[in-house]
Amino acid sequence: MAIHEKTLIDPSKVLTSDHLVVDGVDVSGHWNTMILPRTLREYDDKFEDHIKQYSGAENVHRCWQCGSCTNSCTMYAQNTDFNPRYWIYLVRLGLADEILKDKDIIWQCVSCNKCTNICPKDVRPEGVMKALAHWIESEGHGEKSRSTVFDEEFARQCLARGRIEDSEVMTNFFKDTQQDIKEMALNGWLGIFVARMNKWTELRKGNIFRFLTRTPIMHSLHMGWSMFFKPKTKSWGRTGEVLSQYVKEQKELAHG
Amino acid sequence: MSDTVLVVGAGPTGLSAAAGVASIGKKVVLVEKEDVLGGAPILSGYAKLVPSGEWAKDAIGRMIKRVEDNANVTIHKSTRVVKVDGEAGNFTATLSNGQTVNAGSIILGTGFTHFDSINKPEWGFGTYEDVLTTTQMEQMVGAGKITCPSNGRVPERVAILLCVGSRDRQIGREWCSKICCTVSTNLAMEIKELSPSTEVFIYYMDIRTFGLYEDKFYWKSQEEFKTKFVKARIAEVTRSPDGRLLVKGEDTLVKRPIVIPMDIVVHAIGMDPNEDNPEISKVFGIGLEKHGFVDRGEQYTSSFSSTRRGIYVGGSALGPEDIDTSISHGLAMAMRAVGDMNALVQKAA
Repeated sequence: MAIHEKTLIDPSKVLTSDHLVVDGVDVSGHWNTMILPRTLREYDDKFEDHIKQYSGAENVHRCWQCGSCTNSCTMYAQNTDFNPRYWIYLVRLGLADEILKDKDIIWQCVSCNKCTNICPKDVRPEGVMKALAHWIESEGHGEKSRSTVFDEEFARQCLARGRIEDSEVMTNFFKDTQQDIKEMALNGWLGIFVARMNKWTELRKGNIFRFLTRTPIMHSLHMGWSMFFKPKTKSWGRTGEVLSQYVKEQKELAHG
Repeated sequence: MSDTVLVVGAGPTGLSAAAGVASIGKKVVLVEKEDVLGGAPILSGYAKLVPSGEWAKDAIGRMIKRVEDNANVTIHKSTRVVKVDGEAGNFTATLSNGQTVNAGSIILGTGFTHFDSINKPEWGFGTYEDVLTTTQMEQMVGAGKITCPSNGRVPERVAILLCVGSRDRQIGREWCSKICCTVSTNLAMEIKELSPSTEVFIYYMDIRTFGLYEDKFYWKSQEEFKTKFVKARIAEVTRSPDGRLLVKGEDTLVKRPIVIPMDIVVHAIGMDPNEDNPEISKVFGIGLEKHGFVDRGEQYTSSFSSTRRGIYVGGSALGPEDIDTSISHGLAMAMRAVGDMNALVQKAA
């Protein structure tokens, strides 16, 4: 079927059916393709103010769509779908669904700040990109990035015990990001990493002292011990609770 | 040799010209076809003027008073000029009230006519009560309360459509009306001031807030009053079953058709040539340019000359013009009119 201006068609709006009968007529086959209308029927008038609560987007309402940001953009040169000017327009009109179509590339902003330096209205587009990436993640519109998963585990331990336990951070991080530790140790980078710590050759040469001092035996034992008996910072007490409450309040203040 | 200047039209241009001529000590006869002085800002009930922010009735009111109080100015209201004989230095104008005026020169401040939105029926004016023109919206601002004419509710959203009756070959208006962008951004701020819960959207092709109006009106309206600018020329205004208006068009920046509910739609109407210009052209023996505005003579050494010697024209009679510029046209024409009369006196002596 001939479709003109294919770039304008959102794949999710194309309806096809292998077997379709309309009014008793069999219209099975590729020519029953139908495309849902792509008309915009509503603006979300509150959306711009919502995004402006994320740090960096405070000046988004100043944009007059000159396109200097997109023109100067490092990422746009790599991928013309990366279009800050367009996303800023969508923020202004409150077309969140349109923004979410690009949620997998918005985070790619490299913060070179060429856009912010060139913007004639001081919109600070780089900040808007950050705010959008933050919005997408914090409101659950996209998958959590691995660094966020790591940060959350790190912070959880800090608040619980006033310190982190390296092995616990790593094992939980691998678990939460569906990375199989056993597989990585046997066939992946973790195995190679551990093999490099192998000082077996020193023992073979008869350098017993050197072998013992350079193999992290005690460290390994210590790590293993700490996995079961988790150490806490001295007199941590209710500190974690108070901090958690403070962080929660600050978040509510910032994002309502 | 007459030392009287005939000024036709008592809007900003004519009032300024009359005061200018009188201030040099010459006599002025001011002829106005309506029964009040002040021209469009008064007759159409403009709200706050650009760029001073003063109410039209105060600002133009002072101009009227200045002329009314001047002993050198004779005013004829509800009067037209029906015939002009003679030549530069010695015109005889016949008025519709039967009187004649001997004048050395004639100044035309005959102005413009607002575009009549009925000529763009697809945008709903005259069909839906909640479709208004900028002048009607200015009157609403003047009355101090923003409500939908249909049922008195406070509008959640107002859409202002730019270039209604401008830049449109379909209806033979190929000119930019120059002031509507600024007027609309100003109006958006006035609406927001009176009704903070109302969102104002301006649908545009370009924004032409020239000179200092750029940041004082366009930027201010966008940055301080949160007016939203949408790049779309609306194709059609219809009504949805719930009674709200629907603006239909293409948002050229998202490359998608739009059908968006609005509560009030405002037409930013343009400036047409004065509908009386064919008659004015005949009575004064002057030419019109291709759009129907009054044509200029030689511009550089005979500024504000019409195509007939001794008759000057300025303000929005020449084409879309803002009030401030019209006022300076008036003063410039006073200078021309009196200067030319002096030259004729010297030549005769």
